[in-house]
Amino acid sequence: MIMWLMAVRLALRSLNRNKLRAALTVLGILIGVAAVVAMTALGDGAKANIERQLGALGTNLLMVFPGSNTSGGARTEAGSRPTLSEEDAEAIGRELYSVQAVAPVLSAAAQVVVGSRNTATRIQGTTVSYFRVRNWSVARGSAFTDADLRISARVCILGETVRRNLFDRGEALGATIRVGRMPCTVVGILATKGQGSFGNDYDDTIVMPISTVRARLRGLSTREVNQVLVSVRDAALMKRAEEQITSLLRQRHRISAQDENDFSVGNMQDIMATLETTRATLSALLLSVAAIALLVGGIGVMNIMLVSVTERTREIGIRLAIGARSGDILAQFLVEAVALSLLGGLAGLGLGWGAGTLLGKTMEWTVTFSPSAAVVALGTSSGIGVIFGYFPARRAAKLDPIQALRHE
Amino acid sequence: MSADEIVLEMRGIEKAYLTGEVVFRALKGVDLTVRRGEFLAVGGPSGSGKSTLMNLIGCLDRPTAGQYRLAGHDVSGLDADARAFVRNQLIGFIFQGFNLLARTSALENVELPLIYRGMGSSERRRRAVDALRHVGLGTKLDNTPAQLSGGQQQRVAIARALVTEPKLLLADEPTGNLDSTTTEEVLALLQSLHRDQGMTIIMVTHEPDVAQCASRIVVVRDGLIASDRRVETPRQAGVDPVSANPLLGGASS
Repeated sequence: MIMWLMAVRLALRSLNRNKLRAALTVLGILIGVAAVVAMTALGDGAKANIERQLGALGTNLLMVFPGSNTSGGARTEAGSRPTLSEEDAEAIGRELYSVQAVAPVLSAAAQVVVGSRNTATRIQGTTVSYFRVRNWSVARGSAFTDADLRISARVCILGETVRRNLFDRGEALGATIRVGRMPCTVVGILATKGQGSFGNDYDDTIVMPISTVRARLRGLSTREVNQVLVSVRDAALMKRAEEQITSLLRQRHRISAQDENDFSVGNMQDIMATLETTRATLSALLLSVAAIALLVGGIGVMNIMLVSVTERTREIGIRLAIGARSGDILAQFLVEAVALSLLGGLAGLGLGWGAGTLLGKTMEWTVTFSPSAAVVALGTSSGIGVIFGYFPARRAAKLDPIQALRHE
Repeated sequence: MSADEIVLEMRGIEKAYLTGEVVFRALKGVDLTVRRGEFLAVGGPSGSGKSTLMNLIGCLDRPTAGQYRLAGHDVSGLDADARAFVRNQLIGFIFQGFNLLARTSALENVELPLIYRGMGSSERRRRAVDALRHVGLGTKLDNTPAQLSGGQQQRVAIARALVTEPKLLLADEPTGNLDSTTTEEVLALLQSLHRDQGMTIIMVTHEPDVAQCASRIVVVRDGLIASDRRVETPRQAGVDPVSANPLLGGASS
């Protein structure tokens, strides 16, 4: 049996003699592998992103929103009716064992001014437990206190984006900013959280006591809230907590059995799961495109190998006449097919890596290259070489030496 | 006559082909014995079964009936891979069209049969260089066939046939593609192999004056051996090509 090393040398020499042909042949495989590599990198990046954000939102987080209005049969968006109050939030925290912490959120949009700089941002009025529920720490300075809450103190904690917009390199801590028409002292700066899954910037926010937002910014007389954030004690209790919150609120809001909830409970994990499903669907779509490209590429390899066998019939005849066995000929052409598609795979790996990086840069997507993707890409391309190279190689190996020698 | 002196022994060899519905009998019972050191020329008109006989002797094909012993081994019923092994071990081939690998150096062409023997590269190279020196091409090792003349190409082919130290050198119209001067050159080389090394050679040719260089001439006609005679004084190739080839008309030196 001819040594495989010799077969590899022969294959490389043969490919070298037909560079353009080899390059055109492997184009399909190149595109297929590049698609697989880029897609896997983007997919893995997206997955990592989603996981990171699940962490960023706070662990085991449930969100309760006020109900929607139904006026004349048309339902308005969730949260458009003030059905959720601070008391509801307190009741959830007080009565449900499965709940670890609760933070009501009353938000307002305001123009924020300091000196000649200003910015528009979202103000979140909440309680001290907000930082724990959102798993968000105050990087510098300190959070507000329960005492601040009681007296509706004019204090605020800036998100990093707001701080940068208003102060840039200047000192923010201790400064007084104007939120709407209310002067307010900066007591803390929040740790950076980065971008959310919908392109929103978590750091573009100001957090202050809920009583301050209610009385001084919104001028409300009721204790309504825009949402209640609930941190559940354990991931296993999520479903249970959701049910308990639902029944507690139905009871508190005196909703009869046949009526619908006037609130909704959102589970961030569900939302992320939906995102993940979308991502997986997209991945599957791209993968099938890649599979088709690989199939076409494989057929291209088979085609060119058949041409090569026909062209080299006389050579095969000579080799057989002087003692090559059919296995030697099979090995020679099989190795050539594998080398051809493996070259395509390598080029595709490079292209996919480049394309993934470029996409990641221009679209600001997270791209993660895993070694396993490279192994899969190269494995797939060699597999294609074997599968689609076998038929032509077998045809070469089965040639009759007399016929082959007579071939012109 | 001891058994080991017999290189080739054919008994009742038949070969039939099925062409469409008709069975064509190319060989109808050939008996042939070749002893070690013989230089046999096989002649005959085209369609006589000469090529079929050549293919059978070379183990490129299998007889339909009869027994064929080569160097003491019965090779009549071997399968394709076993015949490949026999060709590699026992037979050196020289073809009409040289049949060298294009775009491959003379050295690599000569190494080829040794590759299929699984021989290591340094030993292979040493033997191939020796064989090429032997045919006078020691300076053309790295030339490809396209860079060599017809005669040189045929000498590369002869080196490739000799490098395996075969029991039998089988030449199929070795001078068919060569001009008369080169023909004489190649014939002289074959004669010296026969004379100096006792090489057993079977040469298929349809040219009588080429056949005259052999020590024995077998003529095939209609699938049978029509005549088998010894040549008392073989023509010495290259000595006087003018008298050897009347067509030349004294134009050569």
